[in-house]
Amino acid sequence: MSEQPGKVDAKLGANVFKLDQEPHIVIDTETCRTVCTRRVCLQVCPADLYETNDQGDMTVNWEGCLECGTCLICCDEKALRWEYPRGGFGVQYRMS
Amino acid sequence: MDIAVCVKTNPDLQLMRVKDRAPVLEAVPFKVGDLDKNALEAALLLRDAAGDGRVVAVTVSEGDRKIRETMKEALAIGADEAVIVSDPALDQSDQAGVALALAGAIGKAGPFDLVLFGEGSTDGYSGQVPSRVAELLGLPEIGYARSLQSTGAVLRAERSMGESIETLETALPAAVTVVSEINEPRIPSLMNIMKAGKKPVVEYALGDLALDAAAVAPRRAVRSNLAEEQSRKHVLFDGEPAAQAEALINALVAEGVLGR
Amino acid sequence: MEKVECIVVGGGLAGLVAAYGLAREGVEVMVLERGNYAGAKNVTGGRLYMRPLRRIYPELWDDMPFERPVARELITMLGDGAATTVELASERLSGPSPQSYTIQRAKLDQWLADKATAAGAMVVTDMKADELLRDGERVIGVRAGGDEVGAEVTIIAEGVLGLLSGGAGLREQPRAADHAVGFKEIIELPPGVIEDRWRLNEGEGAAQLFMGDVTRGMTGGGFLYTNRASIALGVVVSMEQMRTRSDELESWELLDAFKEAAQIKPLVRGGELAEYSAHAVFEGGIDKLPRSYGAGYLLAGEAAGFALNALVTVRGMDLAIASGWAAARAALAARAAGDSSAAALAVYERFLRETFVMRAMEAGRGVPRAIENRRLFSEYPGAVARLLEGFFAVDDESSATLVRTSLRGARREFLKIDTLKDLWSLRKV
Repeated sequence: MSEQPGKVDAKLGANVFKLDQEPHIVIDTETCRTVCTRRVCLQVCPADLYETNDQGDMTVNWEGCLECGTCLICCDEKALRWEYPRGGFGVQYRMS
Repeated sequence: MDIAVCVKTNPDLQLMRVKDRAPVLEAVPFKVGDLDKNALEAALLLRDAAGDGRVVAVTVSEGDRKIRETMKEALAIGADEAVIVSDPALDQSDQAGVALALAGAIGKAGPFDLVLFGEGSTDGYSGQVPSRVAELLGLPEIGYARSLQSTGAVLRAERSMGESIETLETALPAAVTVVSEINEPRIPSLMNIMKAGKKPVVEYALGDLALDAAAVAPRRAVRSNLAEEQSRKHVLFDGEPAAQAEALINALVAEGVLGR
Repeated sequence: MEKVECIVVGGGLAGLVAAYGLAREGVEVMVLERGNYAGAKNVTGGRLYMRPLRRIYPELWDDMPFERPVARELITMLGDGAATTVELASERLSGPSPQSYTIQRAKLDQWLADKATAAGAMVVTDMKADELLRDGERVIGVRAGGDEVGAEVTIIAEGVLGLLSGGAGLREQPRAADHAVGFKEIIELPPGVIEDRWRLNEGEGAAQLFMGDVTRGMTGGGFLYTNRASIALGVVVSMEQMRTRSDELESWELLDAFKEAAQIKPLVRGGELAEYSAHAVFEGGIDKLPRSYGAGYLLAGEAAGFALNALVTVRGMDLAIASGWAAARAALAARAAGDSSAAALAVYERFLRETFVMRAMEAGRGVPRAIENRRLFSEYPGAVARLLEGFFAVDDESSATLVRTSLRGARREFLKIDTLKDLWSLRKV
């Protein structure tokens, strides 16, 4: 839906993220395309990181990940290879 | 080859918040400075190339107990030993006082073939301390090295002059500062972190170095280092893009920014 | 392979208390924490129940960094364009030994890591444990950052997702039906504004929970905790109900709508966003707990499912701390016996029962079923408001008639067989 794009981006902008070179979330887009009918990842992610690209494939802006694991738990088709970022990388909460 | 590497521990700037134009240091961990890690890496490579010797990480502290924990990072990266000059008087010291303490510690823990520094600290970045230490120790200094090679008696350094590369040679002992391009500092492995806890850490008080609080007292005071605050006019133009552009240009002309 | 006596996976409250408990008895213990510091990956709603903890390492808590002791409890039901708030201010909430404190994890966990370090534990930050090492059924250590380190006992306090323990088959992978997701904003406000807005004495804090429209009828609610110079404002919602909605509502929109609600807006006015975080919350209850021990390992904190949502009290951190304490005791017992088999470590369950952890989980047994009932979150908050509006209404009918009408309405709304059933289901909550 994202009627107001960037609304979550502004929130993520308040956080500290230490970015690794490699993504810690990898989508099996083939599964998303051929098996998944619901794409709940678009709805459940509190950071609104999942998108459908022009080719209709799922993408994830893993750089802004809050590491809650909601997408991993909710994905019906087990289409995510989801790890925590490497030690020292990813979100570093200061006030939560 | 015996090498002293001067390091400064500072708050992790990425984790620091700024509130009301002042840094919030609460709950922000300290770590070894970024460029100091390049110096440490360069020292480890020279030591290993020479086949023997030791790398000693040297720092100053106002006496915080956590300094020992922070210096473990330098030991985990690969330093063989840590030396800490610890004294409450160092809390307020400027670059001159810090250089006195470092030079004293290097003299006492030495002799060293080489004293390495990052070109500047992550927080203050004055870049003064290396030259001051070199002067106090009577060492030749090469600044901003982007590569280092040693033959044992002679050290060769390259530095970038923009359009050209300058190659310098010096007899040892010497002092050298390095830039970040010189190497990619290693990330310590768990095994090396575990070993770091068992490496020797030596603490000196100022008295051990024939110094006292007066010697390291600051000679100048920083009144403010804030950039001047600039106010904005916050003018918004509505309407069609063409009309907005016209209004913007008219406003800039009226302000005297543009002439027509 | 390098060996230590104990490895703790995760520098959260469970792991750090376990490490503290082991180190003070002279056990060689190493904590692996993947964040830049203990607390860097950790998210709480915002409140630690302290009273149950005072008997656990009593010497530990004197200088605990907290935000505010909670002196005022509020429950607000939002529905039908109205807000009804029940409020309790009691000297028995705060007083000399407050029941609960608002806290921030970056400060609390680093403080606890310092305590563990001072006791002799080794806390390694920036280090993710990648895998549990196995020898048959037995957990014999971890692989981390390319190195393998062995341990007699590995205390797995890796958090709610259980990636390592789930990956090794020591527990099940988390299911949406047993979890909620919480997300919150830290909003900075001056301390004086916080004290004025919640009518607090200087230094005291408030906790406010919200039910009803916050979650659009889904199981869950909103929360607000006052820190010293900020508030934590968030929403918790059932993952299963969120992901099976037929509309396109996105989870994060709930918090934005919550903040915009007429009754909430004045509470956050003038505040500045300082952080946004999210966390999965286990709500499966005691019936869905994994086995918490096995040969060479113990599960502690959220990794063991120790979390409890009883609507007005939401607990996790006190259970984590107590389970860390129990894990340390179990590891010490195993060490004394020279036996870290599953049979020897089974003593952990006894220690857990001795603390309040299992009593609390037991008392919350009925909660998962009860909160599946969506009437709690959709119908009742509005109905309460309509009842009270009847009392407060003034129009051309006589007030006596109005109250009677209102009570008649209340009978209609509440005295239904469903309501009685719902009350019955909540009796244990």
